[in-house]
Amino acid sequence: MPAMNMNLGQYVPTGSIIHRLDPRAKLFSMLILISAVFPSKTYTGVVICFGVLMMIVSLSKISWRSVIRSAKPVLFLAVFTMIFHVAAGIFRDGDILQSVISGAFMAVRLVILMMFAVMLPLTTSPLELADGLDAIFRPLERFRFPANEVSMMIAMALRFIPLLMEETDKIMRAQLSRGARLDQGNIFQRVKAFMPVLIPLIVIIFRRADEIAVAMEARGYDGGKGRTRRKPLAWRLRDSLVVLMSVTGVGIFFALGL
Amino acid sequence: MLKEKSRNNPPLIEVCSVSFSYGKNNTGRALNRVSFFVTRGERVAILGHNGSGKSTLAKIMGGIIDPSEGYCMVNGKKIQEMDFRELRGTIGMLFQDPENQIVAAMLEDDVAFAPENQGLTPDEIQLRVDMALSQTDMLKKKDSAVSALSGGEKQRAALAGVLAANVECLILDEPTAMLDPSGRRKIEKVLRLLHAEGMTIIQITHQLESESFSDIQKVIVLSKGGVKWKGTVNEFWDNAEILGFSVPDSLKIQRYCDVKGIIFPEGLANLVHRQQKEESSSTYHDKFLVDGLSFRYDEKSYALRDIHADIHAGEWLSIIGRSGSGKSTLVQHLNALYKIQEGKIYFDGLPLPQKGAEVHTLRQRTGLVFQNPEDQLFSATVKEELEFAPKNAGFKGDELDSAVIYGLECAGLSRDFLMRSPLALSGGERRLVAIASVLSAKPEVIVLDEPLAGLDASYQRKILGMLARLRDEGRTVVTVTHDLDMALHCSDRILLLRDSRVINEGKPDEIIRDIMDATKPEAWPEVLRISDEIRKVNPDFPLIYDYEEFSRCLQ
Repeated sequence: MPAMNMNLGQYVPTGSIIHRLDPRAKLFSMLILISAVFPSKTYTGVVICFGVLMMIVSLSKISWRSVIRSAKPVLFLAVFTMIFHVAAGIFRDGDILQSVISGAFMAVRLVILMMFAVMLPLTTSPLELADGLDAIFRPLERFRFPANEVSMMIAMALRFIPLLMEETDKIMRAQLSRGARLDQGNIFQRVKAFMPVLIPLIVIIFRRADEIAVAMEARGYDGGKGRTRRKPLAWRLRDSLVVLMSVTGVGIFFALGL
Repeated sequence: MLKEKSRNNPPLIEVCSVSFSYGKNNTGRALNRVSFFVTRGERVAILGHNGSGKSTLAKIMGGIIDPSEGYCMVNGKKIQEMDFRELRGTIGMLFQDPENQIVAAMLEDDVAFAPENQGLTPDEIQLRVDMALSQTDMLKKKDSAVSALSGGEKQRAALAGVLAANVECLILDEPTAMLDPSGRRKIEKVLRLLHAEGMTIIQITHQLESESFSDIQKVIVLSKGGVKWKGTVNEFWDNAEILGFSVPDSLKIQRYCDVKGIIFPEGLANLVHRQQKEESSSTYHDKFLVDGLSFRYDEKSYALRDIHADIHAGEWLSIIGRSGSGKSTLVQHLNALYKIQEGKIYFDGLPLPQKGAEVHTLRQRTGLVFQNPEDQLFSATVKEELEFAPKNAGFKGDELDSAVIYGLECAGLSRDFLMRSPLALSGGERRLVAIASVLSAKPEVIVLDEPLAGLDASYQRKILGMLARLRDEGRTVVTVTHDLDMALHCSDRILLLRDSRVINEGKPDEIIRDIMDATKPEAWPEVLRISDEIRKVNPDFPLIYDYEEFSRCLQ
């Protein structure tokens, strides 16, 4: 099968303790941890963040390879940030070494941040994530917010990302063999040259969406009304502990000025 | 008395004078006054070619769309007047592409979707899930992620997802069209068991599978939106050719035996005398020479391992092997979509270019048609679509115009197609346009991945005819397929792959034994299966895969 190098945050089932946590607990803890990585200014801070990440990854039994592969789209951004930072630093005060160091620091932080973020979809199946979001959004239903529909939409999008990546790869190959030049010319020429890939992809997305809607209706999906769950969300002690640990940990982190 | 009884026990599904139009004011009429009924526990096949309106009918019976005229009743109630949950708990639908029916990442989560929608308790849901998984023989995959399943398993997972709703009737719209022979056969086995347990099954298809005919009680033939014919399976086979469907070879041979009073198939053992085939030996030159090619996607898994093969100029070569055997990876090397990692490929005696402008020339000379190529059309008109490849190859002016006409004529499409939108064509026409859009660059070699998949018999014949003409013009044709019927009947030579390696290569007759060893009997042509059966009685019996040859031998 064709190599897929872009499986963005695709669920990897291992049945670990992290996988079994309540999706709401995971979502909440992830947001808190990210809020710590984002403003951290010291090396110690970044090292601690990385330590926590290592702990989570090893507990989740997911290989580093999958984590790195999921964070790949951001690696590009990180390199770009670094180059930009270095160039700006040199321009500002001419200290090459210092700007390289601070650029690298910035890039590393960005990568760690992304890795924290991808741990959520990697350890939570799309449907579970939808249930979690549904429960979180539920109070908003009073303001006519379609909580169930929105969370189901997010879950379906996550479910179909890998499939659409595969389709994109296949269409690109087909157009390349018809002589398309996808990788030449300036940005405008490239955008134009990408049309033979983009248009079929949009057609496929619409057709799939249509067929999925029909199949879901045929299986009795009628919005969230009266829908029950095989495994209803159950908030356990360990979920409270995880949230408590994240909050205190990050609180101490900030108090120490890391 | 009788009347009373029929009112108490109405047919499960009753289609009453149903019409359907896609456009307004009766334009784009897909169905025209269709009427029939299906009783409880019956297994019905609705047969029709592409564009006969059969999928529209399926959606109307399943209550997905409403008919423009007429109505459809389930258990004596009009569908439109039924409660949503009651309807969905009675009728289940299975479609062609399993990917578009599976909503969850884990198998059990997905199967639970329907009972969850029905508002059952967690325990009840789990019971339904276990039941549906065991009915579809998927229990051992219980904890799998959907992405780890094969195509056939995915479709059985989708079927489990439908069964978990505890329905009384299944409507299946070409559920095996995208599967390989063994996946197809497993689904068929599950359906037979379900039918034996009392499930009502309505199967929509363009060709009856030989495994299922003994099980089907009623056949309804749909043509141009109307019911053209109704009857039993046996009656259907008597009329099949008039109705435009081909009779399976096994059935023809069986009938021959019945007429002659021979016991099938053992009685045939001493009857067959094989005639010597004329051997034509000719000199050839290699179009492609593959020498020790290996390829891997990552450190662990090889996709190709030490491949040696040659593709002769002007021949039709079939590359066969199961899914995942490396066929697609191999052909994508031929126009440098994959770069060579190990080994060498020669094209007309020269090393295959790997980068730069030469690659573009190579891609013009070697055209590659992917699986389901109709998904790659993007232009507003067929003309623009056909211009894309030759324009990229540097064709201009008259040369470009004549290239477009060439592509169109190869595909047997008339000139009034040029200004039409590819998106507005039928599935079969779109396939032809997609192949034409590669041929318009006038490639010397044309490679096609599963060119017949999902097409009805008339379009399959069109494409096979086109490929034979291209070969006769002197172009080299390479088809990649798991369809042994096509490979054995049409191609000059066969390259057999298994587990990333070449098993053998040669003329169909020369390597038939290796092909049989490398594939499962359900993938063999029916005549080959029968002759293998006879050989168990008489080992001298020849291995024949062609019905014409078989019947010649009998005379």
